[in-house]
Amino acid sequence: MNSFSLKNSISNALYFIGSMLVLIGLWQLVTILTKNEIPGPVATWQVFMELMSEPFYDRGPNDKGIGNQLVSSLIRVFSGFGAGSIVAIPLGLLMGSSKTGMKLLNPIVQILRPVSPLAWFPLGLLAFKAAEGATIFIIMITSLWPTLINTAFGVASIPDDHKNVGKAFGFSTWKYITKIMLPYSIPHIITGLRLSIGVAWMVIVAGEMLSGGVGIGFFVWDSWNALSLERILVAILIIGTVGLLLDKGFNALQNAFSYNQK
Amino acid sequence: MNTNDKSLNLVDSANDFHKINSRETAISINNVEVSFSTPKGKFTAVKDISLDIKRGEIISLIGHSGCGKSTLMNTISGMVLPTSGEVIANGKVVKGPGPDRGIVFQNYSLLPWMSVYKNIFVAVDSVFKNKSTDEKHAIVNHYIEMVNLTSHKDKLPSQLSGGMKQRVAIARAFAINPSILLLDEPFGALDALTKGSMHIELLKLWNLDNRNKTIVIVTHDIEEAIFLSDKVVVMNNGPAATIKKIVDINLERPRNKKAIAHDPEYIRIHDELLGLLFDKFSIED
Ligand SMILES: Nc1ncnc2c1ncn2[C@@H]1O[C@H](COP(=O)(O)OP(=O)(O)OP(=O)(O)O)[C@@H](O)[C@H]1O
Ligand SMILES: [Mg+2]
Repeated sequence: MNSFSLKNSISNALYFIGSMLVLIGLWQLVTILTKNEIPGPVATWQVFMELMSEPFYDRGPNDKGIGNQLVSSLIRVFSGFGAGSIVAIPLGLLMGSSKTGMKLLNPIVQILRPVSPLAWFPLGLLAFKAAEGATIFIIMITSLWPTLINTAFGVASIPDDHKNVGKAFGFSTWKYITKIMLPYSIPHIITGLRLSIGVAWMVIVAGEMLSGGVGIGFFVWDSWNALSLERILVAILIIGTVGLLLDKGFNALQNAFSYNQK
Repeated sequence: MNTNDKSLNLVDSANDFHKINSRETAISINNVEVSFSTPKGKFTAVKDISLDIKRGEIISLIGHSGCGKSTLMNTISGMVLPTSGEVIANGKVVKGPGPDRGIVFQNYSLLPWMSVYKNIFVAVDSVFKNKSTDEKHAIVNHYIEMVNLTSHKDKLPSQLSGGMKQRVAIARAFAINPSILLLDEPFGALDALTKGSMHIELLKLWNLDNRNKTIVIVTHDIEEAIFLSDKVVVMNNGPAATIKKIVDINLERPRNKKAIAHDPEYIRIHDELLGLLFDKFSIED
C-alpha cells in the first residue's frame, strides 16, 4: 500500500518534469520561429533570476520588487474572495434549503454569473470612489458565483435519510444546520471555494491593469510599456504557478473534509 | 400508570401486570390511507387501515416486500402523513415526528460524518435538553454498552458492518427513552446469534420499564414476530394493501426461545402465519 503510493508519487513527479520539458521545448520552438521576437526560456530565466535577486525592493510607488507586487495581488485576491465567500456561503445555504429560494434566486445567478469582470469595474468605481476598492469589488462579484452555486446545490442535495434523523430526533434549527446541513455540504462548499479562488486569481490581472498601483497585473502592464517581454513571460509563469499552488491548497482542504473517503 | 409495581425481578413475574385488555390505547390508527403522487399518477400504498395498539403491547407487522409496512409505520412516526384518516399516538393526532416515538429506520440513517458515539449523543443531546452533559454521556455509554459496541464507539459508520450500523440505530432509538418504539426491520442484518441477544435486550428493556413501552416491529421473520409480539398484523400485498389478519399470540411470558418451539400453540400460530403469507404453500412436486 505504502510502497504503491510512493511509486505513484514518483511517477507523478516524473510526468510533471516531462510535461515541463515539453513546455520548454515548445516555447523554444516558438522563439526560433519568431526569430527571437518572443524571448526564449534562457533569456527569460536570466530576467527571472535578476528579478528574484531582490524581490522586495521598494523604490517609490511605481517601482517595487516582484515579491511586493505578488504579495499585494494576493492580499487583494483574498480580500475579494473572502468578501465574496462571506456573501456566497450564507446565501447559498439559504438558497439550497428552500425550493422557493432556489427558484427565485437561480435565474438572477444565471444572469449575473457570466458577466465579465471588466463590466463591473465602472460600478465598483462609482461605489467605492477608488480604484483599489473597485478592484476588490470586481474580484468579489465575479468569484462568488461558484461558491454560491455549489453551496446551494450541496444543501439542496442533502439526502432524505439525513434530514429524517433531524426530524425524528427533534433537532433544533441550529442543530440541524451545524450537525447535518453544514457537515454534508462542506465538501460541496470547498469545491465551490476552489473554483472561486481560481476565478479570483484570473480576474486579478485584468483588474490591476485597469486600476494600476502595485500588483502582478500592473507589473505585466508596466513591463509592456517598458517593452520587456521577458518580464511579462516571468510574470505569466509566476501567475500560473501561484494559481496552481492555490488550487493544490484547496484540493488538500477538499481531501481533508471528504469524510467518505476515509 | 402503575408506578408502585417496581418488580424489577426481570425475568418476569409481571404477567398479571401485562393484562393488555385493561390498558389504555397508545396508538390508534383510524381508517388510514396513504397515497403518493408519482409521475404516473396517484399510487395508493395502503388503505382502510384501522388498528388499535394498547400501551405496553408489542406488535409485529409482516407482509411481502413492498406491501407498505414501512409506509404504515411511518404514519405512526409522523414521517409520512396519511392521505385520509388519522393516527393518534399518546393521545395526540400525529402531525409529524416527535421524541415520544423513537425510530429505527430500515436503512439505519446514521450520519456518516459522526462516530458511533456522536451519532447517539447528538440525538440524546437534542431530546434531553434539561439533562446535564455528564448525564447525557452516561446515557450514551449505557446504550452503547447494551448493543456491545463500546470498543467501536469512535468508528465512523463507513467503518462498521451492516449489523453494527443496525445496532447503533437501535441504541440511538432506545437512548432517547421514547414511550413508543418503532423498529423497521431492526434485526434484519444481524446473524442469528446477535439477533437472539438483541431480542433479549429488547425484552429486558421493555420489562425494565414495567412493560410500559409500546413497540411496533416490522419484520420478515415469522419466528421473531411470534417470539416478541403480543399480536402479529399480517398485511395483504399491495398496491392499496390492507390488513389481512391480526393474529393474537397467546404465549406466556417470559418466553424461552428453545422451549417455545415445541409449544403446540406456537406451532399452530407458526403454521397459521405461514399459511397467511404464502397462499400456495407447497410447490407441486
Ligand atoms: N415516497 C414514495 N413515493 C412513491 N411511492 C412510494 C413512496 N414510498 C413508498 N412507496 C411505494 O409504496 C409501496 C410500499 O412501500 P414500503 O416501503 O412501505 O414497503 P415495505 O412493505 O416496507 O417493503 P420492504 O419490506 O421491502 O421494506 C411500494 O410500492 C413503494 O414503491
Ligand atoms: Mg420497508
